[in-house]
Amino acid sequence: MQLFLEQMLNGLAIGAIYALITLGLALVYGILRILHVAHAAIYTVGAYVGLAIFSSTHSLALSVTGSMLFCAILGVLIERFVYYPLLKFPPYVPLIGSIACLLAIEELCRMVAGPYILSFPAELPFPSFTIGGIVISSTLSAVYGISAGVLLLLWIITTKTELGLAMRATSQDMAIASSMGINSHWIISVTFMIGSAVAAIAGILVGIYYNQVYPTMGAVPAYKTLALIVVGGLGSVPGAVLASILLGIAETLLIGYAGIPLPRDALAFIAMIAVLLWRPQGLLGGRR
Amino acid sequence: MLLDVQDLHIAYRDIEAVHGVSFSVEEGELVSIIGANGAGKSSILNSLMGLVPARSGTIRFRGEDISRIPSHVRARIGIRIVPERARVFPRLTVRENLRIGLYGIHEPAKEKERLAWLYELFPILEERSSQYAVTLSGGEQQQLAIARALVSDPKLLLVDEVSMGLMPKLVDQVFEVLQHLNRERGLTILLVEQNALASLEISRRCYVLETGRIQFEGASEVMRDDPRIREAYLGL
Repeated sequence: MQLFLEQMLNGLAIGAIYALITLGLALVYGILRILHVAHAAIYTVGAYVGLAIFSSTHSLALSVTGSMLFCAILGVLIERFVYYPLLKFPPYVPLIGSIACLLAIEELCRMVAGPYILSFPAELPFPSFTIGGIVISSTLSAVYGISAGVLLLLWIITTKTELGLAMRATSQDMAIASSMGINSHWIISVTFMIGSAVAAIAGILVGIYYNQVYPTMGAVPAYKTLALIVVGGLGSVPGAVLASILLGIAETLLIGYAGIPLPRDALAFIAMIAVLLWRPQGLLGGRR
Repeated sequence: MLLDVQDLHIAYRDIEAVHGVSFSVEEGELVSIIGANGAGKSSILNSLMGLVPARSGTIRFRGEDISRIPSHVRARIGIRIVPERARVFPRLTVRENLRIGLYGIHEPAKEKERLAWLYELFPILEERSSQYAVTLSGGEQQQLAIARALVSDPKLLLVDEVSMGLMPKLVDQVFEVLQHLNRERGLTILLVEQNALASLEISRRCYVLETGRIQFEGASEVMRDDPRIREAYLGL
């Protein structure tokens, strides 16, 4: 029982990290109907920039804010110079552009930082505690606290503010939103900034959690998050978060208990195939 | 002159839909553009709103050429549209749809007054204010689209095929509201319609559009008795 609970807690943490990455993808798909594969590259850059700032300043706060800022700008640059000019073409064209961005940025990371696995020796300033004999390490409580904070903040922005209202309107009908006085291109940019800044947080968290930062750390998330937004319901942010958390738990339990030699990364795609067969609109997606 | 359009051309890729139309709307007027399906009426309205780029020509609003400025800036200087088929935001509530109409305007006292007035004009919207717009009937969505365009107190209201898909009784009701807004409130309205009879009844002046060109123009009263118009557009 205790092992099971510990597995659940670990799975929840992994799911929460998936959620932070997938979120940006769901936001971008919701507003531009583009599969933003390059989002995983932003996450990698987030980890590297965070590590670089941490190594030179030893301040985690500076590292996180600096990396968020850097990634927000990178996200907007990709939006302005890759996606926006390609929007008038069929969706596979921006998708190809996105894959090109992912590979180019990965290579750039390799050229700048080298092909090694770097360690991220930071201590997250979160308490560890024990409930009923189960230890929740400071890393775990940091992952929980930070993801819950980010999700709560995003929920407040999208549902309670004028900006969030404009984001929702733009994702439902961009032309009409513009004709209501909303600068929809600015709203698209803000969406990229938010998604990319959250990806930076995820990159740093993963770097610290596994104590590893390397050029291709975005490769698995790149395709896994694609499966996750399909499972959650394309464009549905709550759906993407739910699918991420369920997947994190399922993967951990699979490794812990199942005797079958199924690679954990296959699980997301099995879930995606199942969803496409039985519930094509996804867990929380509306019918189209 | 509130709106003055000169030699407007609109094209979709290589196909020109509107071949140089010129027309104008004075402050306080209700002007209609009638014509068959595909004549280019909606293209003209969308081009005035900035949703479809003009290939050439000038659009002057209160003397200023707006043909190159983006849609959201046109909205902010007082041009609002009731789009074809309403196009309310389906997964926003009725109240949120109206708040979108007020985007960028921060005058809480005036907002409250406008909302109260609109709820008086369209009581059903107040009743349904926390429902998602997608759950409204066609007529209710059309009322919401009108209210959403009006809530910001525009100087020029563009109305695109408001009668399309509505029951005749609702069409009368909606046209009555537009007439009331024009006569009692002095709102300037440019109306684009396939329903020629109804729009000739409420408008002061009218332009007849045929395959991207203006064929006739004049006072609506005179048009109603013109045999050519009666035969081609009124089916009389």
